[in-house]
Amino acid sequence: MKDLLKYTYLLDTAKIKESIENLWQRYQRILGNKNSSFEDLNEARAILYFIGYLYPEKIALESLENRIRYIKPNISLDRFLSIIDGKDKKTLSKYRGNKKFNSLKEFYLIVKDIKNRVKNNSYLDEERFNRAYSKLKPKDYL
Amino acid sequence: MSKVIKGRVTVIKNKRDYYGIKKEAILVAKNTHPELIIAINKIKAIVTEIDNKLCHAAIIAREFDKPLLMGVANATKNFKTGDKVMIDFDNKIINKIK
Repeated sequence: MKDLLKYTYLLDTAKIKESIENLWQRYQRILGNKNSSFEDLNEARAILYFIGYLYPEKIALESLENRIRYIKPNISLDRFLSIIDGKDKKTLSKYRGNKKFNSLKEFYLIVKDIKNRVKNNSYLDEERFNRAYSKLKPKDYL
Repeated sequence: MSKVIKGRVTVIKNKRDYYGIKKEAILVAKNTHPELIIAINKIKAIVTEIDNKLCHAAIIAREFDKPLLMGVANATKNFKTGDKVMIDFDNKIINKIK
């Protein structure tokens, strides 16, 4: 998670993607291992919270908000998100050769990919996580 | 002129509720899940309690060009499935109507 933050500060999209995938793979290994302990599952819980909420909705959003003002011609974050999600070809073509725009676009698409990831028919495989977690959760757990 | 939409509410409490959505529904939820996509063509507008540009509802609303009103506190408590409502998106107001 520290790496992901570091590469987000650097806006190194290849490393951001790699860091997210590393977290996802670790999460999957914990869920797939029958011998995972309650402590392991809490590591999985931390990853799930981080990649499903904290990173996309707080850290990545803040990063986009801070960086969008460096794009010329000026564009608001709402407009930026709308033209990418809405695949507005006309506006996208205006920014085609714009390096800063394209870096932020790539970053946003990486964030969106993890935010929307579905595995085993559930968002971020959370049904499998919930089953494994409740199985090991101590009865007297606070 | 402000954008105003009228319709009937479907409150989403869990993922199964997406399967019960009827056509032209105004979906009201705390937050939404990616499963929202299965019913997206039946949805007229989306209302959420949370307010975040990168939440699922915001992403899906942009992708499918659906009107979205976020940050409506206690929406899932104040509205019930079947309620008729009017949403003024420019002024961020949602009210029950008869």
